[in-house]
Amino acid sequence: MSSEIPRIQRVISILWPSFLTSGLATILFFTLFDPVHLLAGTALAELSRLGAYSIGFFCFWGLTILTSGLTCYFSQPCDDNRRRTRGRQDDSLGSAL
Amino acid sequence: MNQTASTPNDREVENALYQKRKKIYPREVHGLFAPRCVLGVFVLLGLYYVIPWVSYEGHQAVLFDLPARKFHIFGLVFWPQDFFYLAMLLVIAALSLFFFTALAGRLWCGYACPQTVWTEAFLWMERKIEGDRPRQMKLDKAPMSLRKFRIKATKHAVWLAFAGWTGFTFVGFFTPIRELGVSLANLSLGPWETFWIIFYSFATYGNAGWLREQVCIYMCPYARFQSAMFDKDTLIISYDEARGEPRGSRKRSDDRAEKGLGDCIDCTLCVQVCPTGIDIRNGLQYQCIGCAACIDACNDVMDKMDYPRGLIRYTTQNRLEGKPVHVLRPRTLVYGLILLALLGGLVYAIATRVPVDLNIHP
Repeated sequence: MSSEIPRIQRVISILWPSFLTSGLATILFFTLFDPVHLLAGTALAELSRLGAYSIGFFCFWGLTILTSGLTCYFSQPCDDNRRRTRGRQDDSLGSAL
Repeated sequence: MNQTASTPNDREVENALYQKRKKIYPREVHGLFAPRCVLGVFVLLGLYYVIPWVSYEGHQAVLFDLPARKFHIFGLVFWPQDFFYLAMLLVIAALSLFFFTALAGRLWCGYACPQTVWTEAFLWMERKIEGDRPRQMKLDKAPMSLRKFRIKATKHAVWLAFAGWTGFTFVGFFTPIRELGVSLANLSLGPWETFWIIFYSFATYGNAGWLREQVCIYMCPYARFQSAMFDKDTLIISYDEARGEPRGSRKRSDDRAEKGLGDCIDCTLCVQVCPTGIDIRNGLQYQCIGCAACIDACNDVMDKMDYPRGLIRYTTQNRLEGKPVHVLRPRTLVYGLILLALLGGLVYAIATRVPVDLNIHP
């Protein structure tokens, strides 16, 4: 099954949903919390709001990429034999197994 | 599918052989719907590039001022505590999409989606620089030469300049654009503004220049679930199989009844103009973004053959089957009523909102 899916679709299925949800998370988080108050008194107190939003977004994106990536990783078949035959043979065998 | 292509001229036959190739070269199309699409591109891109420069009572009329944590929309100011209105607006936008999809299919995809609109703009630039579809294909097949390099470099430079302007405008919605322009001219842009201008520029360049239809096919969630909003009365673009089949090549003077042929001359122009590279004659497919380019192309061919127009046309499944069409039906009524109620609610809530909610921090 996975060999039928083009590489670009697999890459996008990790990067893109995570991008969308991290955008949503960024909006919700920074609507509730003003980074100027959060960072007051810390080493990052000088960081501008735009900087804090940006870093926040990429932190969220990193986490959600990890989640999407793990989901894709775990959705592969567990059976070693099955995975090996899939690598060598065409899809008809994979669906027959 | 393409081996028997017979078209008004030989070049098209030659082109048809390339249909299996991965890169899609949409052929330019003229007709009834193409001007509407161009109009859509002009209006929507015009709004996008002009709105940040519009002033209202001495300040930027539309400014989602992230650094100051307040949104200006003409006379209205929204603070973080007004998040509710934004959420409601998003619900309304989603419902409108459902409503218009149930009514008229993928109107959004074909005419209004930013991906379509920017791709159209990028395709137009590509055509101006590289020439029409056959020239583009010839250029791509040719080995690298000084001429090829010059044309490709020009195209990418123009694309990047346009994308850069797009990125700048995008950031101009979130930080005051006039100050941003001055900083850019003085080369004193802040690091984060610079970063987001570059980020958005590359996103535009990548999506509209390179990925194109793959965004619709692989990235768009709406494309995947829009069929759930379709029913037999939804306006779709469809090939009239009963009229068109059996397809086949013929001379203009041939009597099609005598040859046992339908109206489809199998010229594959409908495939060549398709921005997602599908064959509409295979039925409704989720890759179809409803841009109506194939309708224009086919009508043109029908005119040349002296056949009636509309072999490919906007229609509904019920009409194709000869059944009555219902515009008003439970689905559209329910979507429409909820939409009206929410819109009314939003306008009322904003009109009666208490404008000041002070948080004082010592």
